[in-house]
Amino acid sequence: MLLIAAKVIRKTIPVFSFVFLVLITVVIIQGLFKPENETALFQIGPVVMYKEGLLYALMITLRVTNIVSSFMILVLTTKPSDLVETLVRKGMSPRIGYVIVSVFQIIPEMISSMGTIMDAQRARGMETEGNLFVRTKAFLPLLGPVILGSLINTKERAMALEVRGFNSSAPKTYLNEEKTYNHSRVIQSVMLLLVVCAVTWRIFV
Amino acid sequence: MIKVSNLSFSYKKGGAPVLAGINLEFDQRSTAIIGQNGAGKTTFVKLLKGLLKPDNGDILIHNVNVKMKTTAAEMAGTIGLVFQNPNDQIFKRTVLEEVMFGPLNINMGKIIAERQAIQALKMVELDDKLEMNPHDLSLSEKKLLCIASVVAMDTDIIILDEPTIAQDIHGKEKIREIIQALKDKHKLVMTIIHDMDFVAENFERTIVFNEGKVLLDGDTRYVFSQKDILREAKVEAPGITQLAEKLGFKQTILTVEEFIQMK
Repeated sequence: MLLIAAKVIRKTIPVFSFVFLVLITVVIIQGLFKPENETALFQIGPVVMYKEGLLYALMITLRVTNIVSSFMILVLTTKPSDLVETLVRKGMSPRIGYVIVSVFQIIPEMISSMGTIMDAQRARGMETEGNLFVRTKAFLPLLGPVILGSLINTKERAMALEVRGFNSSAPKTYLNEEKTYNHSRVIQSVMLLLVVCAVTWRIFV
Repeated sequence: MIKVSNLSFSYKKGGAPVLAGINLEFDQRSTAIIGQNGAGKTTFVKLLKGLLKPDNGDILIHNVNVKMKTTAAEMAGTIGLVFQNPNDQIFKRTVLEEVMFGPLNINMGKIIAERQAIQALKMVELDDKLEMNPHDLSLSEKKLLCIASVVAMDTDIIILDEPTIAQDIHGKEKIREIIQALKDKHKLVMTIIHDMDFVAENFERTIVFNEGKVLLDGDTRYVFSQKDILREAKVEAPGITQLAEKLGFKQTILTVEEFIQMK
């Protein structure tokens, strides 16, 4: 429901189709072969589906769907930089914050530098287009410059951060103003309460 | 050597064209392509090199259509391109291996490739650093190394993207000598460049690109005399040319030597 409200449901379709493909195999295997299977539910030809296995598979399916959905909500609705900024505001070290943000940045950067390096290799007569064998052969020498390039970048970036006062001990001003909504405190409290309840229930009941 | 007809290109299908309706012919005159950033210069040379495929139009190199060659690698024996950023094009562990990479790819024998490589490295004065790791070189040396690694391939056409970046006077002088040596071998040297003094001193023909079109094309002296068009393309004539013009010289001056002679 939240996914629909956030208007990102369309983007989750490929992920869910893959997840459900895996889950269907789980349902079939558990339904047929779970050791505790006793009560036969229905029979298709020689194949018998059991109730215990199906219930167990249903539980796994629900759990996975839950985990995937909540992960999708986080990834698709929150900009990593916003998330990190809020966490830093709440007291996380800006260094760790930067590490998280740069992980998100480095992937598109690596992809684009791979394109440039591949162009440079083609320019000097190395075949990078064609069948799988040719492309694999071209891909391996690519790794050196890409990884080395990003290491060189890291060193430069560390110095660039340093000269712009990243490690200064003065309190930092944030780029974006903190967004506060009237209802966010209520939602946060309810969420926290739910987590506490769930943990207590798990431990004591 | 190269004939470009009605060339147009855009990065996205149906998107805004980066180049539109380009018609050009290149002979052996050394040629500089100038224009503000985003004018389409690098895209144009990538098309010549076959790294990009044109949406429309044809590019004939030595009367062979680039479209007919299936990959850029097949073009490597005919046309060499030195990229702007040297860090993107260094693949090997030693300077010598780096320069031999291209010649070996275009099926030169190992002995010839090595001879070519050492010759090219002598040109850029890096022949005393054959066993060094290229990443330990300074930025200007890396740039010279990249030039050497394309020169070693002995292609008929050589394109240099911003060759003078990070070069001091000595480095520029070396690049000047390399360009002259290539011209003497009757090779077509082309460059994309923002250093107008270098253009005036070294290139016979200049083409001005603006918003994906050729705005001006001709002898360098003629191009730098067209003040209004240059202004439209947001390009400035060399300092000495502007000084001579402000002093009331009738002729377009390109170098300090010419200026002194006219005095």
